[in-house]
Amino acid sequence: MKRIISLLGVIAALMVFSSHDLYLKLDSFFLDPNSNSILQLYNGTFDRSENVIDRDRMIDVSIVRKGERIQADEQDWFEKDSITYLNIKTEAEGTYVAGVSTKPRVLSMSAEDFNDYLEHDGVLDMLESRRESNKLNDSATEQYSKHVKTLFQVGEQRSLDYNVQLGYPIEFVALNNPYELEPGDQFSAQLFFQGKPLADQLVYLGYQPQAVTHTHDGSTHTHADDSAHEHSELIQLRTDENGIVMAELDQPGVWYLRTIHLVESTQDDLTHESNWATLSFAMADVHSHDGGNTTYIYLLGSLLIIGVLYFIYRKKDA
Amino acid sequence: MFLMLVHDVSQADRNILQGGSFIDYLMVGAKHMLTGYDHLLFLLGVVFFLKGFKDIITFITAFTVGHSLTLLLATHFQLAVNEFLIDAIIGLSVFYKGFENLDLFKKVLKVSPPNLLRMVFLFGLIHGLGLSSRLQTMSVESERSFLNIIGFNLGVEFGQVLVLIPMVWLVNFWRKRSNFQAFYFALNTYLLLAGLVLMAIQLVHYAEH
Repeated sequence: MKRIISLLGVIAALMVFSSHDLYLKLDSFFLDPNSNSILQLYNGTFDRSENVIDRDRMIDVSIVRKGERIQADEQDWFEKDSITYLNIKTEAEGTYVAGVSTKPRVLSMSAEDFNDYLEHDGVLDMLESRRESNKLNDSATEQYSKHVKTLFQVGEQRSLDYNVQLGYPIEFVALNNPYELEPGDQFSAQLFFQGKPLADQLVYLGYQPQAVTHTHDGSTHTHADDSAHEHSELIQLRTDENGIVMAELDQPGVWYLRTIHLVESTQDDLTHESNWATLSFAMADVHSHDGGNTTYIYLLGSLLIIGVLYFIYRKKDA
Repeated sequence: MFLMLVHDVSQADRNILQGGSFIDYLMVGAKHMLTGYDHLLFLLGVVFFLKGFKDIITFITAFTVGHSLTLLLATHFQLAVNEFLIDAIIGLSVFYKGFENLDLFKKVLKVSPPNLLRMVFLFGLIHGLGLSSRLQTMSVESERSFLNIIGFNLGVEFGQVLVLIPMVWLVNFWRKRSNFQAFYFALNTYLLLAGLVLMAIQLVHYAEH
């Protein structure tokens, strides 16, 4: 607890962006051991994927559990509509981590398009910098790559893999296990860029009450046209001097962090370079934590109380 | 078995109801009643008054009509009630039943107890609101057709019948034994205590959130 964690620039307002992030997510972030499930790769917003990610763009697809990192088999990937899927099979209980890192791509944009993108994707520091240096009329050629992680819980037993560092160019690393938290608890994560904590970086926290995709008879789909499922309000945070962001997760559901680290490039053929990161996870309903041992104790205690009362009244009758 | 007796919104139930069929809703409804110890304790308190088939039909129908009404209507019209407050009142209903069964209205308050059938109906309405808030938490609104809500309600009734059979048998079995009075006072004193504890737990949750 001696670690100094500060939250800078907290929640000035709820912000709404339409972004082109990459997210890993699941129908349910709570899986049974030794069961089959499907990881979903969304390219767009957290609610809606706009296109699939070609497998040759993926540099790394990892799953970490019980301290062991395994690579996904290319055979297990498939695409449907605009979503990329990965079949997975869970093993022992524990907190699992999955990550995907993509190759860089280059995109050229007009000044107006670039400014719009900075505004709508929340890259506000760069937008402000362009304003201050009178570069708003400069077009851009940007190299970008995306690096995403998700944490999911298999069975009841929590494990320490939640804070594994996959070595991606940019990466969120959870500092506490979200599957040990209850609504109202603080969650913190550290943002690393090229292996070092990234200070003073804008980060957005998003929330979705429940997963909007689900499985019917083995096939997964989304409610893409259901506007009620759209939850694009994001809370603006900023990393402290140690690259740490901290936020209170006030309700059960699916939570995610996103950031875009965009800097001017020193390469001749580029004007900018960006690295995008997201981290998704879920928080169980508080009632789920009331189960298990508490119920067991409650029942045993109840039987004991009834037994004692019975003998007291019995003795009184006699 | 003990671990199944959890009155909660489990992630497993959420998963079942995501894209769930009528049967899925029915099964989750039955499970919810079988594992909902506040509902079970209230029913246990009522069972002490069921001395014949006519009583069983009358009181259980009143409770069933009450909770079905609010479960169906509140869920269909998405009436949001604070689940902690509702659960606190359900805890109070458990306390009430113990209080009444021990004849404490006359002994302590020096008044006659309210009409039992009306109270069972009233508490049925409140239990239905609690069931509705759980169902609304567990499932996505767009998938919760009226048929699915009915499925959940039927599941609740199915679970209730499954619970009532051994309860009625146990109480009637003990009624014929010489130590029934001790059994009666012990269980109803326990209902008083359990009702207070359940109510306090939910009020603490309410204050925290």
